[in-house]
Formats: sequence, C-alpha cells, structure tokens
Amino acid sequence: MKIICSRDRLMEAVSIVQKAVATRSTLPVLDGILIEADTGIKLTGYDLETGIECLVDATVSEAGSIVVNARMFGDIIRKLPDDIVNIETTPNMSMQIECSSTHFSIKGMKAEDYPKIPVVEKNQAVSINQNILKDMIRQTLFAVSTDESRPILNGCFLNCDGKTIEMVAIDGFRLALRRNQVEEELPSMKFIIPGRAIGEVGRILQANDTKVEIYPSQNHIRFDAGKVKLVSRLIQGEYMNYKGIIPQTAETTMTISPAAMLAAIERASLVITSEERRFPVRLTMPDDETLVVSANTDIGTLREEIMVAMTGNRIDIDFNPRYFIDALKVIDEDEISVVFNGSMGPCVLRPIDGQEFAYLVLPLRR
Amino acid sequence: MSSVIFLVDMNAFFISCEMTRNRHLHGLPAAVAGDPDRRLGIILAANYEARALGVRTAMTVHEALRKCPKIKLVPPDHDFYLKKSEEVMDLLYGFSSIIEPNSIDEAWLDMTGSLQLFGPPVVSAQRIMQEIEQQLGLWCSIGISENKFLAKMASSIKKPQGITTLWINEIQEKMWPLPVDDLYGVGRKTAEKLTGYGIRTIGDLAAIDEGLLAGWFGKTGRMLSRHARGIDPDPVLPHQTDAAKSIGRSITLPQNLTHADEAEPILLSLADSVGRTARKNNRMGRTVQVVIKFSDFTVTTRQMNIPLSNSTQHIYQAGCQLFRRSWKPSQEVRLLGITLSGFEIEGADRQISLLGKIDASAADKRQVAVDQAMDRIRDRFGEKSIKRARQIDAGENVDSSDEKGGG
Repeated sequence: MKIICSRDRLMEAVSIVQKAVATRSTLPVLDGILIEADTGIKLTGYDLETGIECLVDATVSEAGSIVVNARMFGDIIRKLPDDIVNIETTPNMSMQIECSSTHFSIKGMKAEDYPKIPVVEKNQAVSINQNILKDMIRQTLFAVSTDESRPILNGCFLNCDGKTIEMVAIDGFRLALRRNQVEEELPSMKFIIPGRAIGEVGRILQANDTKVEIYPSQNHIRFDAGKVKLVSRLIQGEYMNYKGIIPQTAETTMTISPAAMLAAIERASLVITSEERRFPVRLTMPDDETLVVSANTDIGTLREEIMVAMTGNRIDIDFNPRYFIDALKVIDEDEISVVFNGSMGPCVLRPIDGQEFAYLVLPLRR
Repeated sequence: MSSVIFLVDMNAFFISCEMTRNRHLHGLPAAVAGDPDRRLGIILAANYEARALGVRTAMTVHEALRKCPKIKLVPPDHDFYLKKSEEVMDLLYGFSSIIEPNSIDEAWLDMTGSLQLFGPPVVSAQRIMQEIEQQLGLWCSIGISENKFLAKMASSIKKPQGITTLWINEIQEKMWPLPVDDLYGVGRKTAEKLTGYGIRTIGDLAAIDEGLLAGWFGKTGRMLSRHARGIDPDPVLPHQTDAAKSIGRSITLPQNLTHADEAEPILLSLADSVGRTARKNNRMGRTVQVVIKFSDFTVTTRQMNIPLSNSTQHIYQAGCQLFRRSWKPSQEVRLLGITLSGFEIEGADRQISLLGKIDASAADKRQVAVDQAMDRIRDRFGEKSIKRARQIDAGENVDSSDEKGGG
C-alpha cells in the first residue's frame, strides 16, 4: 500500500471511525483501524456492535490494506504538521508515515484478521435530510435509559409510517418524542437503535439538507451519509406502547416560555447540589397567572415567579429538576403548552399547535 | 486548645475474645484459625504465648504447627467477636461521645472535651485500659496525640497493653527514626518505590519536598508527606459506617472453580450477605459489580446497572449475568466477590415510574417477602439460623470488604 493524502482530511476521518473502535478488547486487532487503499482510501472502526466506515480522498499509487492500533495511529496523525502525508506499508506489516521532515515507522496487523462489518442490503430505504435526523436525535437521545436490566429502553425507537417519522426515548421516568412529516411516502418500518450508535450517527450527520439513507435488515441498520457509513446492531424486542403512555387528558394547561422556565429551574438546581439530590423542585400557583418555581434544601432556597396563561386547576407538584432541564434545553420554540395531571399524574410539554414533539415527565411523590 | 485524640487498639482481639469464654486457653499458646484442611487455613490471630514461639498472623496452619506443635487452634466465630466489639465500643462511649470505629478491633476517640472529667491524657488512658481489662477481660494499646494519624502510629509503638504518646513535638525523636514501611498507609509496593529513591526512614520522607512526592505518587504522595510531618487534618467522625459508598463481600475459594454452575451457589451466598447488610442499613443500590480473581492472579471486574434494589435475588441475578460475561471456560477461578453501590439517597423511590406496574410483579413481591422473612428470623436467631437451599455447603467464610477486618 502506498498513498498520499492531506493530514487534515485524514485526521477528520480517523476521529470519526475511532468512535467505533473497541477499548480494552481481548483481541488486539479490535483495538485497530482498518485502512484499505484502492481508488481512494477507506478507514474502518468496528467494535462488533457499531461499525463506522469513512472514505478519504487520496492518491493511491499502490493498493493494499493493513490494521493499525487506533489510539497510536490517531495520536500520530494528530501530532503531525499540517502538510501532505505519505503512507507506505512493507510486506512485513510495518507502516511508514512521512510528513514534512517527520518519519514514523509503526507495527501493523494483517487486514484479513479484521472482523467484517455485517452486510446490509439496500432493499428498503428511508431517505431524510441530515439536519432533520440530527435534530431528532439531539432532541430525544438524553431520555435513553442506561438501566441494562431493560435492554429495549437502551435505545432510540425509530418509527417510519406513511409520511411520518417518529423518534422516541423512554427511561422509565420520562419520555421524549419527536415527529416529522416528510413529502414522500415512506415504507413502514420500526426499529430500536442502541443509544451509543444513534449518538454517533448524530455526531456524523451534517447540519444541512443533504440526505442520509437508512437501510435496515433483520438484525442491523445502516446509515449512509456521504463519505461516512455506520452500521449498528439493532435491539430486538417489542418497544413500549408510548402512544398509550402520553395522556390526552389535562387537569391544568398553561402557555409558557420554555426559556424562562429553563432559566428558573436551572437556578433552582443551584441549591440542589449532588448531596441535596433528594430535594425536588416545586411548582406551585398562588394565583391563576403566576407559576412559582421553588427549591428548599439544607444549603439554601430559591423562589422565582413566571407569568403564565393557565386554564384548569392550580398546581402544587414536585419534580426532579434534571428531567425538565433536559427537555426544555432541546425545545427550540418560543412558547409551548405544558399540561399537568395532578400531583401524581404525568406532565407533558407540547407545541402550542401541531404534533412535532412531546416530552413527558413524571412527578415525585410527597 | 489543641485536640487530644486516642486510638484504642484491641490486642490479639479474636483470640482474646476466645480466651474470655475458654478458661483452659489461658497460659497456653493458642490461635484463631480457619479450617486447617482447606486453603483458608491461616492464622487469623495468635495470643502472646503463641507469638513468643514465632506464630504470626496470616501464617498457614501448617507452618504454625511446625513452629509450635502444642498450639490450641480455635475456629473463628465472627458473630461473637462482633458482639465483643460492641461491648468495647459501649465502654468507650463512657469516656467520649465522639468515637469513630476504624475496624472491628480499633477506634478513635476525641478526648478533647473529656479530659476535665478523667484527668490528664495518660491518666485517662490508664483508666480506659484498666476498665477494658477488668470488665471485659481484654487487652488494648492506646496511642495518644493531637490527630488521628499520629494516634494510630503511637498505638503500634508499644504492644500489648502499652500507652504511648506521640505529640507533634515528639515525632522527630519517636517517629522519624522508624523505617518508612512502618508509616501507616505505606504498603509493600510504596515502600519498595520509596527505598528505590533512597528514602529509608520516616524522617527521610519528612525531609522530601511535598511537591516532589506528589509528582511520584500523585495524591497519595501529598498524604504521605503530610503524615510523615505529623499533619492530619481529618476530624474524628462518628458513625463512619453509615456513609459507606458500597457494600461488598468476597471469598477466596477452598478449591479453584472450573465450572460456571459451581459459582452460582457461591454468588448467591455473597449476594445474600450484601443484600442483608444493605437492608439492615436501609440502603438501595443501582450498580452491581462482580470481581473475579483467576488462578493466575489476574483480576477482572465488571459492573452493570439494575433497577434500585437491595433484594438478594436481584443482586444474585445481576451477579450471575456478570460472571457469565467475564468468565471463559478455560479459566480457573480463585476468588469471587460482589459489590452493591450507586446508593440512592432516601426519598429517591418517590420518583413515580412508568414501569411501576411492571416492576412490582408478583414474583418481585414474593422475593421482597422472602428477604423480609429471612431477615426477621436472623434478627431473632442469628445469621446462621436460616439459609436458602442452594446455599447449603457453599460460601462459608465470606469476607466483608465494607468493614476492615482485624485480629
């Protein structure tokens, strides 16, 4: 193998595929990046659960392939001067890296020993704008459960049906749902994508309207986004009936600025430090126009009033502030509707009109 | 006024407890030891008659019998030592209300406010020693200083039944000439490293720049430097055990394990003991960790999250799952351990859950009922009064790692 490419392009690609390289694995080859040179070069990282491939423009004067330790190779490329990089391998599996007046020689491993990323055929496809999927991931990923005893909740649920795409995450105490309408009819598909993999997809996607193609198979899902491809295992099982969880009832409905509510709850959490985590943030209404956000812990108190427009009963409910902060942070609207269902029932954050999102948070018992 | 801290260290605690109920052991070399037929057969505590003949803690029973063929060996009875330890602590509460147990057989006392009642430090210490001997038939050593660290160092200077002061103005004369591995907190590896740098005595260590030590050992380096110079700002904290961040149990197996099936009853015993302690202390955790030491002494740890629990069954199931993920059929297992951590502070269970109905399934409720019933039986009749059928013949001598052991 003999290639010439730009240090910056190579660096970018290494950083992307490194995210899928295993850490502390039992096989040294799994700690590696596979580099294949043909017309251009392709870098691959694969930890047997998530695989990422990235193409890099390069001048290839001799085709070939090799596996090099990902950490080592990444650190070397990172420390190289910003110039043209020459990479060459020898038959005894060593790699020469030359850039300006720097010359590295490192040991590599045989490409044949590298595991193959599962092949996902391009039978069925969903095609959506990268910025839309990127937002949907950002706006739901935080609610993915890390509790390994319930594996179906360890991922985001992607549901395509007709002209609607939904992404859902539930951790048992809250739910995040994003919905998007697309122009063309989509094939009906549902899958649960592991949180780590969908997080990587979110990072890889560009914030513009180029398309990402999604191809599912029985056990895997593949995302094609320009030069980068990601393949992940799917979580098997039936997802929770989230539509049944979101209540259609409303004891109290208020219209509120999410920015004002976020600021107040973030201020409340300044007195709810990690030692004071048992204390809730309390939402009360002394009259029909004022929402009072308060916290009262061993180290201090906060009280803040927000003007709201309310219909229904006044509220007096305790919540975990974290759950509100996570949801309010990803809402881009200027005004939202917040529905409460008494001190034990779920609270739901929705747009004033439309169905683009729903964030559900359950209260704390007194 | 500067503080006055005592460290009361019970001498040869386990065997001394045995001697209080076995008069025939008096005057004879005797020791508490594990079962001589098994690998656990080591000396846990030897009395002073046996020590005079060369018997030491952690020596194998075989070796001890060679040094002293007439030695009387007694199997350990941790429940009894725990009871005795509580009697000692109760007696100490008569002298100060600020007491921090460091292990089953030693505790720090903040005596600053008590000296007016009991007289100058050494006189008060003599009184404590006398009462422990007369009322409980046990021996102790007492170290006296301005802080916890120096009190601990002082207590080990003269044993048994020694009272030693090690005030800050005495460290140059009494502590600095000691070899560096006598410093409490310096293990074999640290000692080797220090010797490599030419540091042989505690005085050598005190003379080294703190920043330099921090460079070599990180945080530990700073602590060592301060200790060598007699500085320890930590106050005596009563009830330290409540603040434990994890509850763990481990066992070195009498024979290496070669089959996953053999591990399960042992994991159950460990999980049961962890769950029992957690329930006693009203703690629920969400992280279960398993430690496996293989026959080649390599160690693997693995952990997973579970829904908040302290039920034996939940800890056990997570433990089995982790064990199967970490163990390969070719490996022989020498030690197994389970730890519960990630404790949720009281009140966390007030969070209403979407999964509530699923979580409280009938099977789970039965498990909680089983735990409660077993706990009540053990509260009345002792820890060994009941066990699960699968635990029979498995997992005896489980070591506790959330309390430091002691001899």
